[in-house]
Amino acid sequence: MLSTYVYLMFAFALVFIGLYCLSAKRNMIRMLFGVEILLNAANLCFIAFSSRWSPHVDALGHAVAIMSIIIGGCVIAVGLSMILNAYRHYKTLDVKELRRLRW
Amino acid sequence: MFPATLLTLMAGSVAAAFFGLLDERVGSRSKEVFSSIILAIALYTLYNLYVSVDGGVVVFTIGAGPPLAACFEVDALSIFMAACTVFLALLCTVYSARYMEHDTRLAEYYSLLLSMTAGMVGVAFAGDMFTLFVFWELMCISSYVLVAFRKERWAPIEAGFKYLIMSAIGATMILFGMAFLYGMTGTLNFAQMSETLSEVGGGFWVLVAFAALFIGFGIKAAVVPMHTWLPDAHPEAPSPISAMLSGMVIETGLYGFIRLLYVVFIPNAAMVDGGLATFKVTVGFFAAVTMIVGNVMALLQKDIKRLLAYSSIAQIGYMLIGVAAATEFGLRGCFLHVLNHSLMKGLAFLAAGAIVHQLGTRNLDEIKGVGKRMPITMMALTIAVLGLGGVPGTAGFISKFILFASAVGAGMPILTVLGVLNSAFSMAYYLPMLKNLVTTPTRDFSQVKEAPASMLVPMCIMAALIILIGIYPAPAVQFAHMASEAVTTKLSTYIEAIVRAVLG
Repeated sequence: MLSTYVYLMFAFALVFIGLYCLSAKRNMIRMLFGVEILLNAANLCFIAFSSRWSPHVDALGHAVAIMSIIIGGCVIAVGLSMILNAYRHYKTLDVKELRRLRW
Repeated sequence: MFPATLLTLMAGSVAAAFFGLLDERVGSRSKEVFSSIILAIALYTLYNLYVSVDGGVVVFTIGAGPPLAACFEVDALSIFMAACTVFLALLCTVYSARYMEHDTRLAEYYSLLLSMTAGMVGVAFAGDMFTLFVFWELMCISSYVLVAFRKERWAPIEAGFKYLIMSAIGATMILFGMAFLYGMTGTLNFAQMSETLSEVGGGFWVLVAFAALFIGFGIKAAVVPMHTWLPDAHPEAPSPISAMLSGMVIETGLYGFIRLLYVVFIPNAAMVDGGLATFKVTVGFFAAVTMIVGNVMALLQKDIKRLLAYSSIAQIGYMLIGVAAATEFGLRGCFLHVLNHSLMKGLAFLAAGAIVHQLGTRNLDEIKGVGKRMPITMMALTIAVLGLGGVPGTAGFISKFILFASAVGAGMPILTVLGVLNSAFSMAYYLPMLKNLVTTPTRDFSQVKEAPASMLVPMCIMAALIILIGIYPAPAVQFAHMASEAVTTKLSTYIEAIVRAVLG
């Protein structure tokens, strides 16, 4: 069985990919991808840790991961509906254009 | 079993949507009345819960119980936060009845307002991180939609999207912190984590978990490097929602952080290099930065609601002083300031909202002199703003005094100095704002009327409470004292209640 650290390394790699996606991408939908990648990294941590404790797999970690996937889906749905409305106002998906509010 | 308060709010949230649909068919106004009644019932059930808690702890288990299943653990601090939330929500709902009358989709509005309140109450009652996270997201998702509620204008959408991205990152950071704590202790229950964290080595991973949780809750609480969403989101929301967001939602972020810090991290501080001092200095540093940046940025604002939003950031900085002090006295000041801030900032946003409702503009130059036409609103705003500035005789003075005094007691006099200076500095934008409102009008305001009575009544109640707490602070201080005791001197009660529930 692989060490927990291997999974953790993958999780951290996903965190960096997600943060890069959030900071570098200008498309609003891609920013939601970044959020989703971060969320999956956290879920991966839970799954990795859930096999660490007992000889069999701990169900608590899996329960949290499933719940957070559901909740993440809700957040993405709200985000997409906001993007839809933003597109109606700004006629673009470029997040750099969302800069009318300042200070 | 769910606590009755939470059950009332969640059922009310679903039912409010049906009353909204009924209203659209018939043209009645049942949803406003229904939502207010639900919140009043919630307040009553909360009082019953307060009596049964009685300074101790009540555990509600769902399903199998603490080791695996979710649980609610209600202590005096949970009651305190829930009482502030539900009371503010009740006043904001009454206020909304006239404020939102020209908007459409009101069925969703009241339903979301109740579900946001349910989320905040759930966060306050949660006994483990799993429950906390679920209710946290219930609160967050409701508030995203409420910020962007007036989607026909561009500003709320832009603010809402920024809020959503920042807050979603915060939620994932909380999930990370949860994952690391779970990896170290094998449980998500606060009390059990507190018990077992000292048995595992690895101070580094404790710090990683602490950092992730601090960022996660800090984004919601608008601690300064993570505050950028707040000055957009709070002004662009409808005013009653601004009052809720500034009054309680950001404090719920602070609450989550305090709960984790005081139940899990500080009892196990010996595991980390530097121990308790590491946590205190970290929080103290962010407290100083938060209040300075909040106040300086507020000085530059021309928009009344944006000014109040930046002032909220500064107030979070004051509250963090009490958290950094890590004493019972400091937390007493912190929680008293949470109560006072929910009244003062809530009132300030409601009064500003009344002006916006009657005039249709938020620019400080364009509302110059309107105070003479709206005397009651103006009076309420004056009381709120003087309270926020910490003038003696108002509620803000008492809590700020306790906060700043606690920093001296905790050996951080620099925070006291910075706090007092910032508090004085904040008058530099509060007073010109008030003067601006009573000065000679530059526009013709003869058509402007005072806000309707159902908006004035909640404002007057809050103004009266601010003065009352300022003159006779003993009951409020006692209430905050019970809350702060629950996570400091009486923490063993909190932990033993769960340990006992697991064993028997």
